[in-house]
Order: sequence, then C-alpha cells, then structure tokens
Amino acid sequence: MKKSKRTAKVSPSKAGLSRIVLPRLALAKKNASHPAKVRIHQLSTGVRGLDDILGGGIPEFSLNVLAGPPGCGKTTLVHQIAFANATPKKPALYFTVLGEPILKMMRYQQQFSFFDEAKVGKAVRFINLSDVALEKDLAAVLEEIIAQVTAANAGVVVLDSFRTLARKAISDVGEVEVQSFLHRLAQFLTSCEATTFLVGEYVEDEVRDNSLFTMVDGILWLSQVTERNSVVRKLQIMKLRGQATVPGLHTVRITHDGLQVFSRTLGLMGDKPKPARRQRLSTGIPDLDKMLGGGILQGDSVLVAGPSGTGKSALASQFIAEGLRRGEPGIMAIFEERPEGYAQRADSFGLDLKSAENKGTLELLYMRPLDLSVDETMQAILDAIKRVGAKRLVIDSLVGFEMALAPGFRTDFRESLYRMIGALTGAGITILSTVEVEDNFTSLQFSHYAISFLTDDIIRLRYVEIDGQLRKTMVVIKMRGGNHSKDIREYVITAQGVVVIHPRRTDYAELSTGIPHRTGPRKAQENEAAPEPKASK
Amino acid sequence: MRGIAERLIDYETPKKTSAATANTANFQVTERLRPHLATLMGHGGFRALLARALKLAGAEVSWLRAVQVNADGTLEGLAAPHARLTPAEFREGRVVLLAQLLGLLVAFIGPALTSRLVGEIWPQLAADKVDFGNGDKK
Repeated sequence: MKKSKRTAKVSPSKAGLSRIVLPRLALAKKNASHPAKVRIHQLSTGVRGLDDILGGGIPEFSLNVLAGPPGCGKTTLVHQIAFANATPKKPALYFTVLGEPILKMMRYQQQFSFFDEAKVGKAVRFINLSDVALEKDLAAVLEEIIAQVTAANAGVVVLDSFRTLARKAISDVGEVEVQSFLHRLAQFLTSCEATTFLVGEYVEDEVRDNSLFTMVDGILWLSQVTERNSVVRKLQIMKLRGQATVPGLHTVRITHDGLQVFSRTLGLMGDKPKPARRQRLSTGIPDLDKMLGGGILQGDSVLVAGPSGTGKSALASQFIAEGLRRGEPGIMAIFEERPEGYAQRADSFGLDLKSAENKGTLELLYMRPLDLSVDETMQAILDAIKRVGAKRLVIDSLVGFEMALAPGFRTDFRESLYRMIGALTGAGITILSTVEVEDNFTSLQFSHYAISFLTDDIIRLRYVEIDGQLRKTMVVIKMRGGNHSKDIREYVITAQGVVVIHPRRTDYAELSTGIPHRTGPRKAQENEAAPEPKASK
Repeated sequence: MRGIAERLIDYETPKKTSAATANTANFQVTERLRPHLATLMGHGGFRALLARALKLAGAEVSWLRAVQVNADGTLEGLAAPHARLTPAEFREGRVVLLAQLLGLLVAFIGPALTSRLVGEIWPQLAADKVDFGNGDKK
C-alpha cells in the first residue's frame, strides 16, 4: 500500500531508555525474552485532519463501518480513502449493492479534486453487485466478492450500501444468515490482507441491537447536526480497535477537495509553556507602549475592548503595521468587514497593508461565512500563520467571530476561544483581539463575554463626556506579565490613527464612569481647542 | 461522437473486410461494451442506458425503432433489417446507436472517464489520441 504509514519505531533514546541505567546485556536479554508485538500498519485516509483523530490512520486489514444518515458525506469519505490508497498492484474495489448507481456516483465524485480519473479502472475499480443481490442470494454475493477480490489482489474493499444488502437479506433469509455472511466475509477479507469499509445509512439506535457493530474493528459515524437554520456535519470515531483515537464529535466540512475534519482538540496538543524572558512588542502607539510598561509581551493575548467608533480596528491595524515595519509578519482575521474596505481604512491612517499583502508578509483572512466552527477558524488561522510565518495576529472582532459560528458552536464559544488562544499563544504568536462593549455610563464593563480570564492583557477604550464633548479615553486594565500604567489617558483618532494625547487628567474624578465631575479649575472655554480634528470643523 | 463510433466499428471489423460490407447482424461494439458497462451499472443499468440511446438513435435512423433491448442488455430484432437493408444502411444504424450511447456516457460521467472506460476495451483509442469532446452531449 503506497500511502500506508509504518508505525513509528521508537528508538531507545527517544523513549528515554538511554537515561535508564541498565546494562546492555541485560537489555538484550530482556528484549529476547519478549518477542516483538505485531506492528499494525496504518492507512492514511487522505482526509485532512482525520488521521490524527484516528490515532494515525486506519489500521491495515481492519473491517470498518462507515455509518450515518444520507447526505453526511459517507460516500465521499470512502472515495477519498479509496483514491488515497489504491494502486494498480493493490487496487481498491468499490462494490455497490442496491445503492447509488455507479454512473451517478462517478458523475458527482469526479467533481472532487481527489478523484483521479487516471486511477479509475486500474487502481480504483467499481463493480455493481445489484444484479447478484437481487437475483441470487447472499452466498452468491459473497462468492462474487471473493472472486473479484482474489483476482484483483485488492488492498481496499468498499461495500456500499451494506445496510441495504443486509436488510434485504434479513427479510429473505433471516438475521443468522446475515451474521454468517458477515463472518465469512470478514474472515476472507482479513486473510487476503484487505482493509474493508462497509458503508450504510444506519441510525444511532441500531448500534445497540445490531451485532455488526460488535464484529467490526472500527466505526466511523457521520452525522448532520441541525440547530435553528444551521446544519453542521460531525464525525465521531465510535470504535477503533487497538488505537488511541480522539474522542468526541469533530466538525466536518466538505469542500472541492472532499472532506476535511477538524479535531475538537485541535491546538491542545504540544502546548508549550511561554519562555521566562520575553521580548516586548510595540503597538505602534508610543504612549500606549509606555502605558504597557514598554509594549506587549511576546506571546501574550491582548483584548482591546470598547464601544463602536472608539478606534479598535485602527489600533489593531497599527499593531500589525508596526510588526510589519519591524519585520514581523502578521495575520488579520476579519469578521465584520471585507478585506478591501479594511485595507483602505488602514491606508487612510498611512498604514500600507496592501503592499505587505502583496509581499506575502501579511494575510487578511475574511471569515464571514456563517456556520463556521471554531476549529475551522483555528485551522484557517494556523494555516495562514504557517504560510506567512506570522508573529502577530489580530482577531477583529470576537463579536463578529461568534456571529460567524453556527448556533451550535456559540454555546461553546468561550471554551473554544480559550483553546484557540492557548494554542496560538503557545506557539509564540502575539494576539490582539477586539471586542465591542456597550458603555453604560455607570460602570466600566470589560466585556459581556466574561473572557478576561482568557487574555493576558486588557486595554479598555471608552467614551467620556467632558466639557460638552464626547471624548475618548483608554486605560490598561490588566497585564499579566508585568506592571503597567494605571493612568486613564485621552486619545484621538487622527490621520495617523490612534494618538494618545494629554497626560492623565487630574482635574476630573470618576472618569471611568464616562460622566466625570470636575474637581479642578475650569479652563476658559475659548482656550480649550477641541482635541479632535474632525470636531474642530 | 460519430467519428469515434465509426473508429470503434472499424477496430471491430476484420482487416480484410470493409465495415460497410461486414455481413453480420450483430452490433459488435455495443456487445463488447455490454459486459464492461454491466459490471459498473448492472445489467438493468446498462439496459436502461442502451434503451435511451436506442430511442435517441431511432429519431435519426428509422429502422432502429423496431429494435428492442432485452433484459440482459442484448439487442433483439436485428436480423430482419439486416436481411432487408444494404450493408451501408445497416452500418449507419450501428454508428448512430453507438454514437448516442457514447454521448450518453459522456453526458453522465464526462469525456475523461468515458475515454478511460472505452480505452480499457480498445487501448488503440488512447494511442490514436481520440478526443471525446468537452462533455456536452450532441
């Protein structure tokens, strides 16, 4: 099998044995007294993300059920596996039994990029068993399968739809005959070194009463989860003998390339602790850097919270642009605006994002489609980070991110976000996320998500009413990695973006409420120029 | 598709005999396609496809309207027209039916897969670089 992966041979040093004080002779004797265990080779599924969930791939020579209701991607998944593993010497035989006509299946499946026409006929062979199943009995079906598999020396065997065949057989000859057929089929296919997939439209209740599920080595269960108007495909590895699979429901997306599976633990593997000494990154706003004690610590997650129009996106663009100036590639995951508009607005602040995009040091990821899962988003971001070698990431905004998710994922948003931020910062990426919060003019909210525990640093932007004007202030509320300024500073948005003006104000109290009261002397109004260029007109 | 049909019929005609004068009541090319396509589609599937091709071909060649497709996908009712028609007229029926059958295959599974399927039976077709077109049925 060309793409089957040999199980990694763990060297003694890798296993940590070299550190164990054990005389070489004793080790040799120990090895001699314990003959090697069977090494189960694994077949790569050809489905991105699935091999990891399976614990490495599909065990060679295993008998598997691929189950789920119509339309959840069973046929496409099994085609992907067949095409990924089929060679002219060890072909994949695709038997159809009373299911979708092969011509129609070929018509649709060839639309996927994995469908290699050159393999059809030699490496991937389609055989219709409907006539045998309809006109004869199970014994004839088995005989035909044995003849074809033996003649072809098949490596992969697919039986689609096994459930339809079994149901017909049960009604004709009873369940015991079907069990006997399955037993003989499994025995034959294993002995001729074929990995088998029985495809069927089973419903979950059938798992308890159908002994098929006890006999097989693996059960891959596909489903479609509906919530409100949203439908999301899911995959569960219900069973896989001899392998440590990733439990739970994993999101599946079907694209032009076929299925892609997003592990629900994506990002939790290989989480590295942050180094003790970390560099500080400039935000591109010198006064804000000072407020942050010299800048954001590399690998931190920063939350910029504020109401609409306070310049969160401008600040985010400045953070990215500053990184680009310093040779740190970046990613901006945008959920509420189209990239063109976003780049144009940054351009009006003198931040040339387009050139960086063209150079390949910046990617603007537009992630507005509905029914996303956090895992898909994370995968898209991780892919982009890898592509550009990003050091900085902007997520603008968390509200838009949540809205882009399928309703079913919104309930888990906090947990998923925690996982995603942990994974990305663990990889050394510095994240700046924006979140829109409503100013209520009585207290200072950080975020309605209560996600402050997810972030290392929080910068709060807010409107403040001063002298008949609605001005803007910022304050660093939290910084896990070090000390920071406690000052509430006024800022404006100019042609240079966010610019902090004035030292902290000592002539007002309760600035944090948004409606401060004056405690110092009032300056003459005519001397007090409006701070914002826009407001001066 | 007509050109390919003619070429396939020529492949099946003994070298010393011209296709126009080949004196058999069979549709050899269709017959050779039958087991291969039946493996894919089942006999019922092949029968349905051939019956559709026959229906379409009957609009072009009137004598084909009297021909029937059996349950196993073989053709019935060829002997009488074969006795009555000139070899050229009989050949025309073969060509048109085969062209319709190939046209249906191209419409369903595209030129690339049709080419592969047909190429498995007549490898010389690939060597001759025969083009099955862009997938539009004609």
